[in-house]
Amino acid sequence: MHRPTRPHSSLYLRSLLSIFVAAACTAAPGSSYSSGASNGMSATAGTQAQVARGRELVITHGCGDCHGGGANPAAFGWLDGVRDTIVQEFHIGPFVTRPKNLTPDNTTGTGRFSERQLFNALRYGLRPEETPDVHITSTVPGQGNFPLHPHYLAVPMPWPAFRHLPDQDLWAIAAYLKTGVKPVSHRVKDSDGPPDFWAGEYTVEKIGTRPAPPYPTANETGR
Amino acid sequence: MSRRLSLLSVLVLSASLLAPSAPRGPAVPRAGVVSSADTSKRGSVLVNISKVPKTVEVNLTAAVARMSLQPGVVSEVFAYNGRVPGPTLDVREGDQVIVHFRNDLPEPTTVHWHGIHLPFDSDGSPFHPIKPGETHTYIFTVRPGSAGTYWYHPHPDARTGFAIGKGLFGGIIIRSADDPLPASMPDKLLILSDNRFLADGTVDFPDPSSHHGAIDENNGREGPVLFVNGQVMPTIEIRSGEIQRWRIVNASAGRIYRLALAGQSVLQVGSDGGLFEKPVEVKDILLTTGERVELLVRGNGVPGTKTVLQNLPYDRYAPQTRPKDWQTIRDLLTLQTTNDAPVSSPVIPVTLRKVVPLDTTKVTAVRTVTFSQGLINGKTMDMARVDVSTHVGATEIWQIENIVGMDHPFHMHGFQFQVLDRDGVPEPYRAWKDMLNIPKHSTARIIVRYDDYPGKWMFHCHILDHEDHGMMGVLEVK
Repeated sequence: MHRPTRPHSSLYLRSLLSIFVAAACTAAPGSSYSSGASNGMSATAGTQAQVARGRELVITHGCGDCHGGGANPAAFGWLDGVRDTIVQEFHIGPFVTRPKNLTPDNTTGTGRFSERQLFNALRYGLRPEETPDVHITSTVPGQGNFPLHPHYLAVPMPWPAFRHLPDQDLWAIAAYLKTGVKPVSHRVKDSDGPPDFWAGEYTVEKIGTRPAPPYPTANETGR
Repeated sequence: MSRRLSLLSVLVLSASLLAPSAPRGPAVPRAGVVSSADTSKRGSVLVNISKVPKTVEVNLTAAVARMSLQPGVVSEVFAYNGRVPGPTLDVREGDQVIVHFRNDLPEPTTVHWHGIHLPFDSDGSPFHPIKPGETHTYIFTVRPGSAGTYWYHPHPDARTGFAIGKGLFGGIIIRSADDPLPASMPDKLLILSDNRFLADGTVDFPDPSSHHGAIDENNGREGPVLFVNGQVMPTIEIRSGEIQRWRIVNASAGRIYRLALAGQSVLQVGSDGGLFEKPVEVKDILLTTGERVELLVRGNGVPGTKTVLQNLPYDRYAPQTRPKDWQTIRDLLTLQTTNDAPVSSPVIPVTLRKVVPLDTTKVTAVRTVTFSQGLINGKTMDMARVDVSTHVGATEIWQIENIVGMDHPFHMHGFQFQVLDRDGVPEPYRAWKDMLNIPKHSTARIIVRYDDYPGKWMFHCHILDHEDHGMMGVLEVK
């Protein structure tokens, strides 16, 4: 059983395609990135140490600044999504985007998403709502389980920065969100967005490559 | 409630005056009163070639045809027996149905008998493709109690939206010997579809990798041209005071209709699997993809006046791909009151039939089915995988959760179910269903019993682009 093969013909996608090809080519083996569990599975799913590491990363990366609770896991509304529409909502051009409920509630949070879907969200920016629970091996749309029409997390979710974390750190974040946080039933209104699900905002020109270019770049001293 | 009573009183509901239904012959079209000005009836009925009692044997061919789907423009289409919609399969409870099907298309196809309880190998699911040039005989016996409105359409793997969009769909009417509604009541089958065309009249299927292809894949392919029985804005004639029975099928790929007859309410008497227990007065009706309703429509106008059946706005869409014109009200057909003198309305029975509730104390499994965008339980379909395994005789509750911001219509093959509740609100009346719209961010619970017919049955989102994308699962009944 396979889904239909879909040719890449539009200019729009051709340009996107070339960008991702470029990105894929730069992701050469032997990079300094820790590959972690490269089979796409969390090697140490749910261990206490993993959850603790995930918690540390969530706190230090400011997830709660947008998703609720700031840097304080004891705060009311910790990671359960927009409650203050003035402080927490974003107005991106004509669109309003809203940080979601990251607690593992089944219907309003991440409860029905797998850790791998959360990993794919952090690594590739792919919305778990539309991206299946699969191991992604390519960044070329339509190949290696990378969606033909990638639906990206709404701007300004900083996944282009978070994707540079090593695999095990992303798995740790996923493990913390799925098992370390209590589910809270809190529905966040759906974000608006362009019909390309922000693909135009996540080109290599705008977000760079992963891995990052070798040190030093023109901006860097090399020391 | 007051509105309901007012209409009920108009209809002079009285169980004691229930007219016995007249005996009817085998498989004949019952299109009701059709005059020259009534343009709603263009379809035909599959001709029964059997002389054996209680047997309906028909020939059905799917083939490429050149005809006009879009008014005034001839283009290449797919058609059943040269017609769009295909001829109606008109049968009675207890009939043995034998369909000699031939695939003259350039691609594999199947015929899925949507909503009908039948053996697995006659379901026409992706498990049983029929290659180009091949034939297949579908055989099933129409179960007593299943009288209602159904439809047939292709269900090949990953190509259903294309094949239906090219013109392959037709209606099925199952009649019962003891139909509680007056036999004299005009009975009309109205198949709703929409389509989109290129300038040369060909059906517009954009490259799936294009921007428009992506929009279609997300929304389900919609078109600006709305059809009733393959016609744009047909006219149905009704005599003042007359009551007609309308069987409405939504054969659209993605469009969910919110139907309303301007200026009046109607009585809904049935759904996918046949009649309700009692008529329900409604001002508008949500008709999701693949779903059917049976309505009683009264000629409320004075002679010579007309009204329209409209499609009212309904926001089924994700915010990112919601069409800009989604709030536009669209007319579907004209209901013309004839110049004839008014007639007195027939009596509508208070009670239509018994819909026996499935027994929740017999439930052997409670399952959760999570719909996200294009996915069921986070997966796309794999025909080599069994997603739900059960056995004949089991009764189950399925909790269907839609966790994303777009509606997804649920369809189960082979078995009619009953809705228990939606978002915890008990279903107000019992009905047999095979389609259930699961609105964005909502949960419904259904109960189903697998009476017989082991096999691998599909359950899926009936937005055709979604099911073709793989928003489908396999239910194995052993």
